[in-house]
Amino acid sequence: MSKALNEKPKAEALPTAASAGVTVNGKYLPPPEDQDGKIWVRTSALIQAQANDLYKMWRDIESAPLWQEQIVQVAKTGQATSHWVMRSGDNDSLDNKTIEWDSEILADEPGRRIAWRSISGESQNAGEVIFEPAPGGRGTMVTVLQEFRLGKLASLWETIVGRNPKQAVIENLRHFKALAETGEIPRVQGQPHGPRGTVAAMKKSVYGENMATPPGLNRQAGTA
Amino acid sequence: MKALCWMGTSKVEVHNVPDPTILNPHDAVIKITRTAICGSDLHLFDGFIPTMEEGDILGHEFMGIVEEVGKDVTNLRQGDRVVVPFTIACGNCEFCKKKTWSACDNSNPNAHLMEAAYGYSGSGLFGYSHMMGGYAGGQAQYVRVPFANVGPLKIESDLSDDKVLFLSDIFPTGYMAAENAQIGENDIVAVWGCGPVGQFAIASAFMLGAARVIAIDRLPERLEMARSIGAITVDYSEEDVSVLTALKDLTAGIGPDSCIDAVGLEAHSTEMQGIYDVVKTALLMETDRPSVLRQAIQAVRKGGTVSIPGVYGGLLDKVPFGAAFGKGITMKMGQTNMHNYMKPLLERIEKRQIDPSYIISHRITLDEAPEMYKVWRDKKQNVTKIVIDPWATNGSSDGTGATFN
Repeated sequence: MSKALNEKPKAEALPTAASAGVTVNGKYLPPPEDQDGKIWVRTSALIQAQANDLYKMWRDIESAPLWQEQIVQVAKTGQATSHWVMRSGDNDSLDNKTIEWDSEILADEPGRRIAWRSISGESQNAGEVIFEPAPGGRGTMVTVLQEFRLGKLASLWETIVGRNPKQAVIENLRHFKALAETGEIPRVQGQPHGPRGTVAAMKKSVYGENMATPPGLNRQAGTA
Repeated sequence: MKALCWMGTSKVEVHNVPDPTILNPHDAVIKITRTAICGSDLHLFDGFIPTMEEGDILGHEFMGIVEEVGKDVTNLRQGDRVVVPFTIACGNCEFCKKKTWSACDNSNPNAHLMEAAYGYSGSGLFGYSHMMGGYAGGQAQYVRVPFANVGPLKIESDLSDDKVLFLSDIFPTGYMAAENAQIGENDIVAVWGCGPVGQFAIASAFMLGAARVIAIDRLPERLEMARSIGAITVDYSEEDVSVLTALKDLTAGIGPDSCIDAVGLEAHSTEMQGIYDVVKTALLMETDRPSVLRQAIQAVRKGGTVSIPGVYGGLLDKVPFGAAFGKGITMKMGQTNMHNYMKPLLERIEKRQIDPSYIISHRITLDEAPEMYKVWRDKKQNVTKIVIDPWATNGSSDGTGATFN
């Protein structure tokens, strides 16, 4: 680096590159572009918690149903492998269809990084999450990169009938942050309202309000 | 319970709906003893705020008695008397830690909607569209209050509801408007809009040291009220009055040090550009009618401050940005960071430095609310502030006076 500028008292040391990272050697790295058959989403959040605690919360995959939308159950099947069950319809669908897949952890750096991919089943996905302390003790920057093997047409269809998989990743990180920072996930489902007309009922899915908000730590809400 | 529901533009109805329940560990359910209709409810009534849906329960100014608390609520218990801020804040995210509570990162379950419109999401609000969280509001008999450890302010003195209710929104909103106006001692401050927020902005400007406050409106009862607390008033609807000239005349030609736009997106204007805005918004080519904002930017002195407590929702036309730049002005705005102001303002009320109930003109029942929304919109019956007792039945209010006074 040149010595042209020496007065930058709070500048961070340039972060090292990681594949879900947003910089390489000081240069911004845009997220990968969708190709037919493969879509990508990268999203990040600043969370007021220690990187190591956030890592542990994410790594506890059997607790994923607490904060990931539509995930019904996750069971460990080996040292690095697990079996995932996900509800495929939304809140309003009458059947309880699920899709299932097996997943394995590819990289596991405590307090820093987890990477995974599906190895068999009805969903083909791969992802990575990195936890980096933010400059000046402002919390932890959490960045998720996830890839789905899914045609653009299928993605559009998912968007119409439920949650676009990209948005699901964004919402899941939002739920993760809320749960980590506050101990609950904000929700409005289940509150009273007046009669909904046809339009309002239809727009529920536009607002994503037909997707059940994950329970957080409060499966049985109510007074203690 | 009974609740006032938004059923479409210019249509609100009282419906019987299920009582709210505890949904999250930090929730409380409040039995509402007093609630009010806000000027910003008119933006919903008039259909200016997107993502309102049929059946949404309105209301974001309310207080009451704690009925039930979730298992992680530690500082409230059943029977506590509380005023609830209209912005919902988690208390733990980076923005809450910085005390910019209305920018809370965690309280809006529909943050993605606001991100699409504004880039980032602000906090959730009670009864103010799905984009702002989709929370059921408090023009009802009960309400669910999330993050109850953080928001509700306990009232431990015997001050009447009428005196403390406005700590839920408009008093702090008027106060933050004056704080944002960066008022120095002996400054001259101009306030557009003498509705409730304008009244509290005027009062707060004096409390913060203003020497002269100039209040602009067209409704005689509101101008009278502004004069009653010490402002000089300008009626912009009078034929020979030009606001810009009046403000020059009243500041020896230099302009007000600070201008406060307590009107927002549905400004009325008698000038040509006012008609332009009505036409453009009707054609959906513009979302807001910013004639007050334009005037405030034009009127403020060189290096002065424009503070905007009035709500804006979307895209504005013909805002004189060259004038703003040319004079080197500062502009400050946004939803109120309620939690910073409720306690200090309660102390001012307790010390009898101000009695906010002076703005109340009507006390009504919930069943009367649909009719009163129209009165409020049309500024009939000398209305200045409508307070609702959600438990009173028609014709027999709760003993605080006649239904209409």
